[in-house]
Amino acid sequence: MNELEILVGALLNSCSEHVLETMFFAPVFDQADPAMSAGCERISSRLHFRGVPSGDFEVDADPGIARSLAAGFLGIEETDVTSKQEDEVMAEFCNMTCGSALSSLGRVEYFNLETPLISRQPAFAPAVDGVRRAFLLDGGTLSVCLRVDFNPVVTCGRS
Amino acid sequence: MPLQILIVDDSPAMRSFIRRVMRLSGIDVGNYFEAGNGQEALEQLASHPIDAVLTDINMPVMDGEEFVRKMRGGGPFQATPVIVVSTDATTHRIRTMQSLGAVGYLQKPFGPEQLRDELDRVLGVRHE
Repeated sequence: MNELEILVGALLNSCSEHVLETMFFAPVFDQADPAMSAGCERISSRLHFRGVPSGDFEVDADPGIARSLAAGFLGIEETDVTSKQEDEVMAEFCNMTCGSALSSLGRVEYFNLETPLISRQPAFAPAVDGVRRAFLLDGGTLSVCLRVDFNPVVTCGRS
Repeated sequence: MPLQILIVDDSPAMRSFIRRVMRLSGIDVGNYFEAGNGQEALEQLASHPIDAVLTDINMPVMDGEEFVRKMRGGGPFQATPVIVVSTDATTHRIRTMQSLGAVGYLQKPFGPEQLRDELDRVLGVRHE
């Protein structure tokens, strides 16, 4: 693991925990094995960002955790949470944690986050190949993955 | 006197969260007005007396930069205080929004205390 990956991993730990506790009222009990979510039923949210650096961010969670996070964020009972609200809140978590980590990462000049894409997968397959961290919450796990590229390949004639 | 607050964000979940945190902060709010983008926000401003605006940046139709630019371009609400609510806390972004006329900046994640402190600072009042 290189220096940047170590820094990204540390930022993912601190930013995820801060976002979860401050805005979702969800304490992190422990770190979890990031490989555990592959092949399991998960709700995931993924976004691409452009700038210096560019890259991708992905979050995936147990369906029960997505529901619990939505309830905590919106201040309502879990039984009242709709699927649409779960999706919106997962997108917010994705947006906030990615933005928070990038804002704390040195060398960042500017970035623009694209709209997160939500997917519900009976057998989750990670779509982002980057630094991944997972957390044990009350009732399940949540993992985040960040890929940053400070030297994107620019192809003439393409954006 | 209760505040009239305009929340501008394309995410209904985020607008709901801001209302909730505002309540938790103890700030006396008379009415919340909401908009899903800058264009809707300008329409709300033209229809209601607003004490402060809390706005996101990345939104469809009209983003936060264009919204603040249009607000400051003239009209009856050009002096209405604008607080940007964003995950992006890079110097580049903060300076851009300040240069357009935003007077406050609240980085997500935030809680009731941060929201109250920023509103107090911008409005020049003290909510206990």
